[in-house]
Amino acid sequence: MSLIRQIWCLVLGAVLASVLGGVAVSTWSLRELLQTQAQLKNNDNANALALALSQQKGDAELMSLLISAQFDAGAYESVRWRNGQGKAVFERHLETPQAAQAPGWFVALLPLRVAPGLAKVSDGWRAVGEVEVRGQTGYVHEALWKASLNSTLWLVMVGVVTGLAAAVVLARVRRPLDTAVRQAEGVTQGRFETVLEPRVPEMRKLTSAMNTMVVRTRQMFEAQAEQLRTLHHQLLCDELTGLSHRRQFVAELSSALERDDGPLRAGLVLLRLKDLQGLNQRLGHGGTDQALLAMAQALRVYPEQVRGCLAGRLNGSDFALWLPAPKVVGDTAHALADALRAGLQGVDPGIGVALGAVELPRDQPMSAWFAAADAALARAEQGEGVVLELRQAPPSEEVAQGERAWRALISDALAQQRSRLLEFPLIGRERQVLHLECPLQLKLNPLGEFEPAARWLPLALRHRLSAEADLQALALALAAVQQDQRARCVNVAPASLNDGSFIARARELVQAAPAAVRRLIGLELAEPAAVQHFEVLQELGRQLRPLGVQLGLEHAGAGLAQIDRLFQAGLDYVKLDSSVVSGISADAGRAAFVRSLVVMLRSLSLKVYAEGVTDALDAQALWDCELDGITGPWASAQDIKP
Amino acid sequence: MRSLAFLRLDRTRRVLGALACTGALGAALWADRAAAWEREQLEASAAARSPRTLAEVRAMVQMVQRASVLTEERQRLTVVNNFFNQRIAFRDDTQVWGVIDYWATPMELLEKGKGDCEDYAIAKYMSLLGAGVPQGRLRMVYVRAQFQGRSQAHMVLAYYAQPDAEPLILDNINPEIQAASQRADLTPVFSFNGEGLWTGVGATTAGNPLVRLSLWRDLLARAKEEGF
Repeated sequence: MSLIRQIWCLVLGAVLASVLGGVAVSTWSLRELLQTQAQLKNNDNANALALALSQQKGDAELMSLLISAQFDAGAYESVRWRNGQGKAVFERHLETPQAAQAPGWFVALLPLRVAPGLAKVSDGWRAVGEVEVRGQTGYVHEALWKASLNSTLWLVMVGVVTGLAAAVVLARVRRPLDTAVRQAEGVTQGRFETVLEPRVPEMRKLTSAMNTMVVRTRQMFEAQAEQLRTLHHQLLCDELTGLSHRRQFVAELSSALERDDGPLRAGLVLLRLKDLQGLNQRLGHGGTDQALLAMAQALRVYPEQVRGCLAGRLNGSDFALWLPAPKVVGDTAHALADALRAGLQGVDPGIGVALGAVELPRDQPMSAWFAAADAALARAEQGEGVVLELRQAPPSEEVAQGERAWRALISDALAQQRSRLLEFPLIGRERQVLHLECPLQLKLNPLGEFEPAARWLPLALRHRLSAEADLQALALALAAVQQDQRARCVNVAPASLNDGSFIARARELVQAAPAAVRRLIGLELAEPAAVQHFEVLQELGRQLRPLGVQLGLEHAGAGLAQIDRLFQAGLDYVKLDSSVVSGISADAGRAAFVRSLVVMLRSLSLKVYAEGVTDALDAQALWDCELDGITGPWASAQDIKP
Repeated sequence: MRSLAFLRLDRTRRVLGALACTGALGAALWADRAAAWEREQLEASAAARSPRTLAEVRAMVQMVQRASVLTEERQRLTVVNNFFNQRIAFRDDTQVWGVIDYWATPMELLEKGKGDCEDYAIAKYMSLLGAGVPQGRLRMVYVRAQFQGRSQAHMVLAYYAQPDAEPLILDNINPEIQAASQRADLTPVFSFNGEGLWTGVGATTAGNPLVRLSLWRDLLARAKEEGF
């Protein structure tokens, strides 16, 4: 039994006992008093009557009259006069016994023992028997009943007031208690949150201890994250500018191009500091570095402020900026050019920078992206100073079909449930399937093929249909798990979390499923969600994890170390993005980075998986880094244990 | 209560010899009590007062024992009447107790060796009950007595051989037991005895406030505590 319930039982028990005891004691003593009074009345009246009768010189008529008078004037049940042999000479008694106003059980519970009053009657020396007087006692039970009701009422009122007071006190104790319990639960679930210290002294000590523990854990975590950032910087970034170096930028870009939830069209800007050698001779080594730093400074703003933006230094003089949004490349490139002009002015007015900016559909291969951007860059190099060359491919037909038509296509497909889940295994070290990744496919055209999310998700996002799609995926996954009892996980678009009803509806869906099924369901969000929708993510965890649902982050990369509140998120697992893990077998530095990531995440009791693994060597290197599971083309090609 | 009463009866027979078995138990409750004097308790109470009291009480117990084996009730009356008339000197309550009216138990009476009219009547009443005279035959009677030429309030014990018979009067003014008709100096006013007198049931009688409310009941309660 919980502590609060025990206290409640104690309070209620005490109130009940005092009510019952109080009523019983007061009723009992009142009964004693009334009984004594009735007894005295009987005795005294009998004596008084006998005294009067003894003065009548044995005149039976007169004595009978006297008895009648006494009976009529008073409240008697009976008055009897018996002679010496015990035979009744004259008697009066109540024809209809006075009916008690109290309930029968009450009368039976408290019987009255009132003996009749007896007194000797004489006529001179002659004994003429005795009188027996019984007073009415019906009123006794009535009075007792009323008194009991009154005292019950009063004590119940006292009880209610006590109960209310107890409720207030308990609420005062309960709030901090609940907070402490929630905090403790949070810690076991990997959410390290501090809470406000309550005013109740005992609870304050407990909460303060918990808070200290949480703060220490955070500090440890932060130290680890800091270490990781340093490592990241050293291994994956260009030494001078701090931007991603070429290999890292390419890996990140490749991951961004393959991602389902990216935009339909995106932008790429290539920048080149012209005549690097000439600058070196002219400005010296320091001056050139200054120019490079100024360029990096202008670029760094974008990835720092916009999630999903990528910036990198491709080689000595070349930089790149990836903009994961349509129709922004022009403005961005112009702004960037302006910023460079201003920034480089101070270094040397003669510095020339060429910018080649392109916007393409995201489904183009990376080579096409670089080819188009290089072409634009080549044009820009013709000019003097900071020159921008912008190329935008015309919008594809599908987009031209019109927004409304797309919206109708997607919502129809969802409404008619023209949807299915694909299944890609995530395998553990023993080649066993840990869970199936299940992206949703929709048949947009009733007569056409099922189409992958990459084709319709960007539009669904724009039309705020992603929540519907995600819920449908969840429902399908629940149904599939019920069929074959295999663990599955589905993606949740960060935008779905913005839909106010999403969490409640997801909870409803999950709650309707048996507990055994719930435990086999996972929901995963892309890492940017952890930052942009942190509160909603936490709420999602609070609502769904108690039901057994697993919660994870996907596409997690270097940004993980930036999520300074990861320890409060309440997650079950993290999937490392392919940009982090690909090529790990050939890169000791990358392996070291992944290994420290794993250590940090493990300390938050998270499972760590790798996604997008294509290469057996990479897979082996990842197992060496102690990862819990791997997914991607390599994993799908393995002989899988059932 | 019933079995207890039986036990007491048995004990009475053993101590006091054959006793007339009274009728209905309920009605005879007080009679049984009175008859079953707690001898040890009586002696203990008396010893606590003074050695003289103990001797007096022993004498009284022996007297009652003697009386109880007599076959004629008339003879028992004489024994009891003479015992108290001879041993006790008449004094007003104001002289003995310092109060206007005090009803003494037989033991208190014997301890002082003096008492007034109701103290005689009470002692005789209790002794006769102890000697096995049914309570129904005894009544204490308030009388107006013509004594030394003036009338005064007085109390005597009356014995009714039958309920409607003429009573015999046990008095301390006139030590001779006489029929009521021969006592022209006495005019009866009111009579009572312990019959039907409710004194509560069980061992807590002495603590029952009801019992001590009148002089008569108070006396009975005190007497019971002393062992009568």
